Amino acid sequence: MKPHIRHLNKLRWISLTGIFLVLILLPCISVYQAYVAAHAYDLLTPSEQLFYDVMETLTDPFVSDPEHDLDAVKGTTWAATVFDVKVSDPLAVVGQVSAGLEIYPSFLLAALIPVIVTLMFGRIFCGWICPATLLYELNTNLAAWLHRVGLPVGNRHFDRRLKYLVLGIGVILSMITGSVLFAAVYPPAIIGREIYYAIALGGFGAGAVFFVLTLLFDLLVARRGFCRYVCPGGALYSLLGRYRVLRIQRKVETCNDCAKCTAVCEFELNPMRDGFGQECNNCTACIAVCPTDALVFKVDIKDIPNQGPGHLGRHYRENEY
Amino acid sequence: MKRRKFLQDLISTATAMAAAPAVEARVAQKTGIRYLRPPGSLDEAKFVSRCIRCGQCGEACPNRCIKFFGTENGFSSYGTPYITPREQACILCMKCGDVCPTGAIQSITREAETILDSVAMGKARVNESLCLSYQGKSCGVCYRACPLPDIAIKVGWMEQPHVQDACVGCGLCERSCIQIPQAIRVIPNHSL
Repeated sequence: MKPHIRHLNKLRWISLTGIFLVLILLPCISVYQAYVAAHAYDLLTPSEQLFYDVMETLTDPFVSDPEHDLDAVKGTTWAATVFDVKVSDPLAVVGQVSAGLEIYPSFLLAALIPVIVTLMFGRIFCGWICPATLLYELNTNLAAWLHRVGLPVGNRHFDRRLKYLVLGIGVILSMITGSVLFAAVYPPAIIGREIYYAIALGGFGAGAVFFVLTLLFDLLVARRGFCRYVCPGGALYSLLGRYRVLRIQRKVETCNDCAKCTAVCEFELNPMRDGFGQECNNCTACIAVCPTDALVFKVDIKDIPNQGPGHLGRHYRENEY
Repeated sequence: MKRRKFLQDLISTATAMAAAPAVEARVAQKTGIRYLRPPGSLDEAKFVSRCIRCGQCGEACPNRCIKFFGTENGFSSYGTPYITPREQACILCMKCGDVCPTGAIQSITREAETILDSVAMGKARVNESLCLSYQGKSCGVCYRACPLPDIAIKVGWMEQPHVQDACVGCGLCERSCIQIPQAIRVIPNHSL
């Protein structure tokens, strides 16, 4: 019988898609609320009236006073208000503290839940929540398809520590300019903002161009290059998740050294040789692909490094002791 | 002695010139764009350092008056919210301050006294040579559009508007002015 954790990767895709759809829904709700507040249904164009009707049908079962009740959920994954609880990306807090050179306690509190979750589960924001990850992973699939039909795709490698440098430089530049610069280069913040601009304000902004450039970078230069080498948020989450409690471990007895896990890892890690480290985002893609179910979750704050070749692999059996 | 004086001057000038960009950069970009920050915003430099560009103020705005900068006002205000009162003015509903996570827009209760105390987006100024009421055609539209009539704006016997010091700068008068170009406009506080 196959263990159930193999299906976690499907759950992760559902989570990513769901959050992306919510990011589309929230600006729609905002526009709908503005239409309701204006009390001017008759002045809307036919397409706007259709939009109004659809939104009314969708929200009617849940709220009695859409103009105010729908204020319950606002924002994006960068910073959101959920039933009066403010939740914010830790990178926003780092950026704000370094730009303002001051600490605003209630904003620190907003990052509390994400920080605790990251301390426990590691970089799961990257794999399970980030709206940019959905597009980046689809982009990876596109690259694989292009490769199959014979078109060139980039697969260069850089130093993964580059992103910590980006984080540091971002903090210093924010201090100098007094402006939260991370917001301009951090893909999940860009995605949330640009979806909102496109739906509520009538068009994409400059951030969309930047995001398309990162997609092209991933496609033509380095697979998942932005997340692996550049993303300052990924760097921060990696640092926070260094001593995460839940991590993936390889059972050396059932591993057959097939290297599928290493090939599928979006973050260039090496599960086949226990190379998880702080950057593993518990995305479970390696668990889903493992033919012998040798990858499992365990509760510990350390990896077991260098367990050697898998016991079902040829390399181990030919050198039997 | 003369040489020492020259060297001292040289060094002090060089230090000042080297430090200038760093100091300058922390002050928000000054361009010709006339814009208002949402009601309850901190002063400009502090606002830019507090705002994390999450866009929730715009999402909460029922009047859809809050727009967001691209790079046209300098990179330091990229993604920050602003209001162009002639296009769509603020109705002082104060929802943006409630959702702002960083306090860049302060949360203010929606009562006339607290709004008068805490909101300072700008101050309306009348161009008397354009204003119809000052030309003998009594109009008074700005007075009727004002959410704080007789407090923020008073009118004379021919409906000539007189902006008071209590004006918070929401821009509804500028939005509703029937003259083209508008005879009353809000001068933002950060450019006063």
